[in-house]
Amino acid sequence: MPNQPDSFDVIIIGSGAGGAPIAHTLVNAGKSVLVIEKGPLYRPQADDPFGLSDYKRDELISDGPEKRLTIPGLANTGASFYTSHVEPDLNDEPHIYRREGSDLATIEGYTCQCVGGGTQHYGGVSLRFSPLDFRLQSFNEGRTDLRNDPNGDVKREARDWPITYDDLEPYYSKAERLIGINGTRENQVKRASEENYHKPLAPNPISEYAHVGMVALGMQPYRTPQAVITQDHEASGRKVGPLGDPAWEGGPKTAYVNRYGDALDFKSNTWVALLRPISKKPNFALWSNTHVTRLESQGSKITKVNLRDPSGRERSVSAKLVVVACSAIESVRLLMLSAEVSPEFNGRINHNDLLGKYFLTHCFGGASAVMPGRFDKSLTVDSDWATDFCGSEDFIRSNGLWAGATIYNNTSDQALPIALGRTHGAADLDTLWHGFDNDTSIVGERFRTFLDLEFNRRLSVSFMANQVPQKANRIELHPSVRDKWGRRVAYIIKTWHSHDQYLMDTLAGRCRDVLAYGGDNGGGHYPVEGFGGVYLSENALARIANHILGGARFGTTEADSVLDKNCRAWRFDNLYIGDGAFMPTSGSGNPTLTIQANAFRVGDVLLQSGML
Amino acid sequence: MTVVQRDDAYVLNYCTKSLARDNTDGRHNYGQYSPGDTRASIAEAWRFPVIDSYYDGRSYEDSYAFNTVTFVLANADGSARDVGVIGTFSDLVTPISMPRVDDSMYRAVSIAVPKGQVHRYRFVVDGKTIIDPVNPQRVTTPEGTQWSRFFTQYCTDIISFERWELTLLLRLTDHILPFRTIEGQRFLDIYLKDIERQSKDTQYARAYRLDQPIGVVNFIDKILAREESHRLIDYKICLELIDRVLRQRDPYEEPAQMPVSMYEDLYNQMAQDSGVQGWDYSRYASPRYFLQLLRRHTYTGAFSHPKYGGNAGAAGWGYLAHNLRDPLTGALPSAELQTTAFDWNRALEKPLGRSPEYHG
Repeated sequence: MPNQPDSFDVIIIGSGAGGAPIAHTLVNAGKSVLVIEKGPLYRPQADDPFGLSDYKRDELISDGPEKRLTIPGLANTGASFYTSHVEPDLNDEPHIYRREGSDLATIEGYTCQCVGGGTQHYGGVSLRFSPLDFRLQSFNEGRTDLRNDPNGDVKREARDWPITYDDLEPYYSKAERLIGINGTRENQVKRASEENYHKPLAPNPISEYAHVGMVALGMQPYRTPQAVITQDHEASGRKVGPLGDPAWEGGPKTAYVNRYGDALDFKSNTWVALLRPISKKPNFALWSNTHVTRLESQGSKITKVNLRDPSGRERSVSAKLVVVACSAIESVRLLMLSAEVSPEFNGRINHNDLLGKYFLTHCFGGASAVMPGRFDKSLTVDSDWATDFCGSEDFIRSNGLWAGATIYNNTSDQALPIALGRTHGAADLDTLWHGFDNDTSIVGERFRTFLDLEFNRRLSVSFMANQVPQKANRIELHPSVRDKWGRRVAYIIKTWHSHDQYLMDTLAGRCRDVLAYGGDNGGGHYPVEGFGGVYLSENALARIANHILGGARFGTTEADSVLDKNCRAWRFDNLYIGDGAFMPTSGSGNPTLTIQANAFRVGDVLLQSGML
Repeated sequence: MTVVQRDDAYVLNYCTKSLARDNTDGRHNYGQYSPGDTRASIAEAWRFPVIDSYYDGRSYEDSYAFNTVTFVLANADGSARDVGVIGTFSDLVTPISMPRVDDSMYRAVSIAVPKGQVHRYRFVVDGKTIIDPVNPQRVTTPEGTQWSRFFTQYCTDIISFERWELTLLLRLTDHILPFRTIEGQRFLDIYLKDIERQSKDTQYARAYRLDQPIGVVNFIDKILAREESHRLIDYKICLELIDRVLRQRDPYEEPAQMPVSMYEDLYNQMAQDSGVQGWDYSRYASPRYFLQLLRRHTYTGAFSHPKYGGNAGAAGWGYLAHNLRDPLTGALPSAELQTTAFDWNRALEKPLGRSPEYHG
């Protein structure tokens, strides 16, 4: 690193969905760009000199061994935890959340610390938000039919985005083209100006139950858009091999592609899709295993990015523009750590006390049932069918909801045996193995019947919906817990609004219906034993689904937002946020594609800023 | 002795998370270290040396018999000039040089080591040998010298347990697993015979110890030596207590020979936690807690990748593929029709699996 330059046009902190599209845009426009990534660059086979991937088709590499929480003074000190190879060690850098007056550490809210960020391990569901998601304030103006909102919070807290669906649409199309997504368009409520989807592969047979259920309920289904290529992808130079040849046994239909790092090039994470194609250009630098500790400013300019190199040595670099894109919680934390030691920085980033406020995730949940048949779910992509039925204005109004949702089935969950065991009876990442470990009656013959009943027979249907924004839902710095560099860790404080709970109950019921109608060929009486919203789970207050949004929302006025329409911090000339922190509402679908589309938009904004 | 030229990025990718840090508290000690042991400040110290796949540049299938083992030494103050490693994988005398990685504080070298082996090593720093300051695995030779230790994948040498402990553990895991049921036993007999016939072709599809159904005990032996060494003490205490309880209940029979019903009764009592007659609660307060630990390890060992030492011959996966009935027809998957409920080997590397593109 000593021979590397220390000054760039743009420095981007984070290499995932929020950072990579900006890097891709600016590098191709000839600007010098440094991307700094805290985690390693784990390489798939295609770019390892030995043709060996750092990601393996191996459940234990992701579902790690037991460790124990040793941070003193927490309500779950001493608890077991199981983190993957790309998550931080909880004892080194936990997220802390609050429950009933106690603090607990959680792994929730970390995506992945590696090049590609959360796009390495995600299921790849790449939905657009609906046009309505961009104008929930206007939509709810004057409504009197909202259920379970006694204090009128929706009316007070809902915000229209400062951009419309039509503003973002060209960037959705660009993202779909450059990232590489398969799916179908018909029956989506989201207009597209370009058709860039790859043709989806045949669905897993177990998903037919979801399809039958959706059709029986009049929920027009489409094939779930997923960031997995099924054809050669020109934009990134990736090839899929002889897919379609019946004798060929390769391809992306394996449960090791979804929710695991992909050893091959099928999953369109931001490394293979966006960064690798520019990685050989002389105006691009990627510093992985490098940890940004603090930003420094002079007046309205960020002048220095302080970091620790792979040996832990301090160093600083500078650029004309700085983009923070290390996922909403960590981005907010980095800004707060920078503000903590500089009143001037603090006065510029947090002059209206909004930094970290209106932290958002999704209302999510669903239903799960053991279906009549057994199918090999290990031959699958993550989801096969989706529907926008619960996103229509009719549906929203007739149910007294403030916003809509997307429903889709999950095919690959519990598709592999360790995943089945460790998530049996566990609703989240903090309670892994609890169900199987505690159910001591599962032995011998009962173990056999457990596998016979559960393995490759379970199907789940999920919803993803907007959460009501609340100022009290926020990210702070924890007063005492510190990471391995001695920096205060993120403190997540949030609750579910009563309307969120009502909305989750309503939508979980619809997911149950899909299975009840799908399981008995449209009769509607198939037994569904489990359904509900996330607020019912043991650690409901920590649950984030790795959809980490808000905390630095953008808006039209300086008094009401942290960022302007272009995702620039209002009182800085050269500080931008690229990740999901900008969202004032969380949308009716998985957020990654919207983060990517917005980051492409911000990339164009930077080019036109006159500062490069 | 083959040195493997892994690039600098590879080494940094595997060591920064653990080794780059300011904090020196013993945050990562959950019982595996004595107070004051500096390794307690290192996250996931068990990852060192790094054990990974190997490729000889010609054939992935032939290369499958080896692992790449990467040794790393952090030279934080820069004082070390000449760094190397000696070990039982070589002649124990001539150091293999560990050059500097990029301009970092790390010194590293990668070598090819056959799978299924246990080795000891020491670093040589400016002529003096030192133990690996990070690796939690250490052994003392009969002459009293301490060495660092590692083992490669598919290892079946017993590391953590004594013979009587293994036998007891075998009975306990046997009780949990579905393979002692009539259907399960029949499956296993056929499957393992089938694998024995194949074993001439591929050594990794073999079942290595027929007294260890699907290798779960071997898996537990390995995970307690490496990733979950903090749990070894639980096993040591509880196996001793279980042995004692069983002997009290029948002083005339060896625990290994006792009938299934003895283990069934003991298991059920342990699951209830209190009132296990003969259990020394002052030494281990919750027999149910140990049972839960054992359940997780047993399940994981039966169904994880065989390189970890369990799921021998992929018999656990084979069970899921061939022994679960079609709920609609009640039929077992048919070997003739080549139907299976879990086509596990389609996605996995050759020679274990049959993926045409994934190398492991």
